[in-house]
Amino acid sequence: MSGAALFIPILLPILGAALALLYRSPSINHRLSFRSVCWLLSILPLISFLGLLASTPIVHAAGPQTVSLAWIPSLGVSISLWLDSLSLLFLLLVAGIGALIVIYTGCYFSSGAEWRFLAYLFLFMAAMSGLLLAGDIVTLFVFWEGTSVTSFLLIAYKTSDEAARRSAFKSLFITGGGGVALLAGLLFVASVAGGGDFAAILSSGDALRSSPLYPVMLALVAFGAFTKSAQTPAHIWLPDAMSAPTPASAYLHSATMVKAGIYLMARMNPALGQTEPWFWLLTGFGLSTMLTGAFVGLKKRDLKALLAYSTVSQLGVMMMLIGDDTSTAFKALVVSVLAHALYKSALFLVTGIIDHETGTRDLDRLGGLRKTMPRTMAVAVIAALSMAGLPPMFGFLAKETLLASVTHPSVPGIAQGLLVTAVVAAGAMLFAQAATFVWDAFMGRPRDPKVHGHDPSAWMLLAPAIPAFLSLMFGLLPEPKRLADFVSDAAEAAYGGEVKVSLALWAGITPPLVLSVIAIAIGFVLWQSRERVRLIQGRIPAAVSANRLYDGTLRALDRSARLALRTQDGRLRHYLATILIGAGALIVVLGEIPVLPTAPELGPVAEMPLLRVFALILATAAAAISIFLRRDFFAILALSASGLSVALLMLLQPAPDVALVQVVVDILSVVVLVLALTIIPREQRARAAEFTFKQSRWNLLRDAAIAIGAGIVMTSVSYYGIASRPRASVITPYFEAAAKPLTGAADIVGAIVVDFRGFDTLVEITVFAMAGIGMYTLIRYALRNDNAISWRSRPRKEVASAAVEPNDEDAAAPAHTIFGIDGMPTSSMLHMLAYVLLPVMLVIGATQVMYGHDRPGDGFTAGVTISLAIAFWYVIFGYQETRRRLPWLKPSLLVACGLLLEIANASLPVLSTGVFFGHVDYGALVGLPLPAGFSLSSSFIFELAICLTVLGGATLILGALGHPNDPPVEG
Amino acid sequence: VDLLQALAIGAMFGIGIFQILRRNVIRAAIGMLILSNAVNLFLLSTGAYDGVVDAYANLAGQKSDALPQALVLTAIVISLAGFSFVLSLLYVLSVRLGTADADDIDQLKH
Repeated sequence: MSGAALFIPILLPILGAALALLYRSPSINHRLSFRSVCWLLSILPLISFLGLLASTPIVHAAGPQTVSLAWIPSLGVSISLWLDSLSLLFLLLVAGIGALIVIYTGCYFSSGAEWRFLAYLFLFMAAMSGLLLAGDIVTLFVFWEGTSVTSFLLIAYKTSDEAARRSAFKSLFITGGGGVALLAGLLFVASVAGGGDFAAILSSGDALRSSPLYPVMLALVAFGAFTKSAQTPAHIWLPDAMSAPTPASAYLHSATMVKAGIYLMARMNPALGQTEPWFWLLTGFGLSTMLTGAFVGLKKRDLKALLAYSTVSQLGVMMMLIGDDTSTAFKALVVSVLAHALYKSALFLVTGIIDHETGTRDLDRLGGLRKTMPRTMAVAVIAALSMAGLPPMFGFLAKETLLASVTHPSVPGIAQGLLVTAVVAAGAMLFAQAATFVWDAFMGRPRDPKVHGHDPSAWMLLAPAIPAFLSLMFGLLPEPKRLADFVSDAAEAAYGGEVKVSLALWAGITPPLVLSVIAIAIGFVLWQSRERVRLIQGRIPAAVSANRLYDGTLRALDRSARLALRTQDGRLRHYLATILIGAGALIVVLGEIPVLPTAPELGPVAEMPLLRVFALILATAAAAISIFLRRDFFAILALSASGLSVALLMLLQPAPDVALVQVVVDILSVVVLVLALTIIPREQRARAAEFTFKQSRWNLLRDAAIAIGAGIVMTSVSYYGIASRPRASVITPYFEAAAKPLTGAADIVGAIVVDFRGFDTLVEITVFAMAGIGMYTLIRYALRNDNAISWRSRPRKEVASAAVEPNDEDAAAPAHTIFGIDGMPTSSMLHMLAYVLLPVMLVIGATQVMYGHDRPGDGFTAGVTISLAIAFWYVIFGYQETRRRLPWLKPSLLVACGLLLEIANASLPVLSTGVFFGHVDYGALVGLPLPAGFSLSSSFIFELAICLTVLGGATLILGALGHPNDPPVEG
Repeated sequence: VDLLQALAIGAMFGIGIFQILRRNVIRAAIGMLILSNAVNLFLLSTGAYDGVVDAYANLAGQKSDALPQALVLTAIVISLAGFSFVLSLLYVLSVRLGTADADDIDQLKH
């Protein structure tokens, strides 16, 4: 068997789901009845059943079959599958019962096209097969959650039913919570075992058990398994899950999905089991689950609820057996799993038939169906005999082996008495339940005369008849060799040692047989006096109800959500303050930075350059003054002073290039800020300014405290950063040495920006251009609908007239085209100045682009310098007029040209040097006579491209902020 | 010198934070710029060498570290772009909500 074949049991149901979805289309569902579609699709699980059956000898002979596909190799995550006898046992149940359920589904729904149900069912089948085939923890977890989700969808299948929705949520909440714990537990297991695949985990049992993390991982994994397999107190979701259509209940909530936790614990037994905590944990929870299920089930009158609680009880038995950790226990486990799946699915399907035919499943209304539904009754009796644990059924064998394992001498003496008593008690109650099921439904006379029924079609009866018949066959067949081999293989896989299996019904008069007889006798008495038992049960108040715990948890969740919401006041400033406090605390705590410098060494004051101290003080003071100045405009000026002082500091570094950029950027940002100031309406600003100075003292104090805290943290960070910085650089000497020979640039900073880190710079100017375009788009178009004076709504004539009358800017044209900011008239002196300024700036810019490689300045400075002149034009002449007088100023075009030029410039050297962003001196290549200090190289072209892009971007920014309501001139 | 520099950076940082927390959005914008100045100053002063001459290949003597300078250059440009964009957002807010008061913008949780 090749490894890829292992995927078949997962892929076939997925195909089934896809085909079921096709049935949605009218052209198909008009030709085919839903019933025949179910018939056709049942072939898929049947194929996988037969394939699995055929592979049993292979697995028996060759051991586990595995296959592994890389999924996220960088994380070491792969999709691994693993097939051994244990998974084979469960897989056969999933596929075999699955095929029957699909056929049954076709008959169950009278309304016809339930393609959605069918698709969910197939998806579940795929998830469940994947869970059982999973060969590593990630695959296991993914499919594990897949079964939870499909179960949710099936429970809430009747979406209009609120109770069903609530039940579905409950099951998802409980099993999902368990799933999270399971993931954490499995990750612990994998980290200790040194790998997530089962081969690694199963072979490192000793390491796992001796790990100090063992209790944690055991608790987490067990929590996941307990929620899934409905162990108390998490069992409460299972009875509620009965709101699913009966085929789903029979399939998911009795035969397969609820056994996932059992499977997981059995699978993990060789790795995590065989310890004291394992025994007490699993036996304790299993025992209480077994008793709870049996006890509560006894008083239920709804057939499905009765079956659900008996399922809970059986799941408890299985969990207890895993905890028992003897070879007999694992034999009992495997037999129980098989027996329970067979009789319980049969009983569920019979319940579905009764519900379908009579319209009720309430025992208080049913009765006397033996006359009208004799064939159904025959099936029910066989299955119920198996449930009651009577010979010659397979269920009898299950109970015998169970009793044999609890009476096994290896069980501790104290526990043994308790275990035996509990098992006998539970066995008695299960007997009573089975008897109640059959007697109250089929015997006696109808309690409600309106309830009638008749046998269903043979096909519908086939689904429960087959498992019921098998329960009988497995019990009757004398020593079925292959079955015994199979059972012992599966038990050995879970036990991790040899398990001897004999499936003979009669083993002589042994303690288990005696106990079995006692249980049956008590059960008979219980059933006889069932009315009285129910009365007594009704008097016991449900003091500790797990449901109350669940409701309380949900309420607490809601309440904490409300509490969390109360901390969200929606105010940006408060969020910001919270983030700052958190970030500061993180820096101090995680960075282990002492908040105050321990031994500040001031050093001789005389050593400090006076100018530097002055600039530092000026920068800080100007920034501080910006807080106190009342008018926003003055605050902006103070800010500008602070920025210029920073430029001075940079100059003293000495870093002339940076200082130059800082100067132009400072000016540009002040211009932009002033523009923003002017376009925000005056009354809004007045109101905001009022708030600035009329805040409550508490608010001011809080903000001041945060600011001071931030300042202190920043001071310590920068002090330690500066004081402890490495005093030798690895990279800089290379740049210093290579700048001139490789790039022809004396300016090392410029060489880094344009050549060594050219790609960075390309991205940088792209960001700059994007900011400009983004602002333009945001202000021009995003606000179009909100703007009362949007350019679209303005008469077109006015725009046209502004464009037609050229030199008349002082008189007639609309205000914004002739006046500057805020409609203040401008003098002709300023007009002259603007005319002079632009060419001067253009020349300065050109010089910078040409000589920036050897001297301070670069294309960026050039672009900003020129755009400052243009900003001046905008202020003096207005946006419209500027654009008219400077027809070459097309910002978007400039941006596009700049970026394309640079991309071409960066790509061209690939031809000659083979390097993107390589350096080529075209001037020297051609032999042009150029003035000293200027070279027509790729660096120069880059500078030019930067200049164009920045000019375009800055103009866009200025245009967008300066004249947000003007129409764009370019087409 | 280091301590004084650090003190100035910290002070400017604190002032920037204080301004950002003002209700007046214009003040908040001013705070952003002060903040970015402080950070740029910090980055610049982390250079490995305390330079005497400019970082030019044709100059003799201890040059200042060119690497942080180049990086700060980029940072200044990007912060200008970001700052301008923030301003346009403020403008949009002022048009849409008719206010320049940060506390009037309290719909963040819906």
